[in-house]
Amino acid sequence: MSMIKRLLALDGVNVVCHFRDDGNLVEGYGLMSRDEMTDLARFAHDYRRMAQGNADQLAMFTGMRGWTPPRGWILRGVTQSVCGVGNLVCLVDSIDAPLNDILLELREVSRW
Amino acid sequence: MVTLDALMRLPGAMAAFEFRGSGELLEHQIAYPDRLNDSTLDLLAHMCAANMSIATMQARGWEQITAMKGFYPVRAFTLVGFDWSVVVSGLHREQYKQDGKYSLPPFMGVVMSNENADYEAAFAALENQEPIS
Repeated sequence: MSMIKRLLALDGVNVVCHFRDDGNLVEGYGLMSRDEMTDLARFAHDYRRMAQGNADQLAMFTGMRGWTPPRGWILRGVTQSVCGVGNLVCLVDSIDAPLNDILLELREVSRW
Repeated sequence: MVTLDALMRLPGAMAAFEFRGSGELLEHQIAYPDRLNDSTLDLLAHMCAANMSIATMQARGWEQITAMKGFYPVRAFTLVGFDWSVVVSGLHREQYKQDGKYSLPPFMGVVMSNENADYEAAFAALENQEPIS
């Protein structure tokens, strides 16, 4: 079984995708079409690069260590949230999803 | 609306702050000024404002191409850095907008050390809802 599939066992996780460094989808599971997973992977790839670039500039301008390299990000919408760690992205319910556990699991699985 | 004092009581809190949509730092509290100073917090607030704006554009676009709902408006942004995390929320601004108010409250945020960070507690505090007077 794919390692990332185990993320779907966590409450509130609806979709999980693994993408390459160029943003192309490697594998994805959950309640979404393959085309939408391809788009989600591209979005996550772009957002990760942007967040990383901003964190790099914050560190450069302030000299404060500890921001880079970033470990992940969360965007929280009204009912849906997106969590990214490394080359993994999850779509989760905004309400009642165990975000602390999801981030820990994402970090663990991203190392494989 | 949550207070800066309440945010500073979150596990691992290093700073709590308010900022305008344009990123300007307003009221703030810093627990460890030797690690995180005013000017760094100001730049962090600007970075959070930029991320919220771009995420909002992406949420808008995502809902248009997929017909999925629930992403827009973006309520909060979190960056998990290598050692530190920042969580910011604009939920109260959205509530004011929906009530037709023109004067919006600031965004609110908290900086936490990753070692002790509790993201669910941070969201719960930032999204503590009270009726708008």
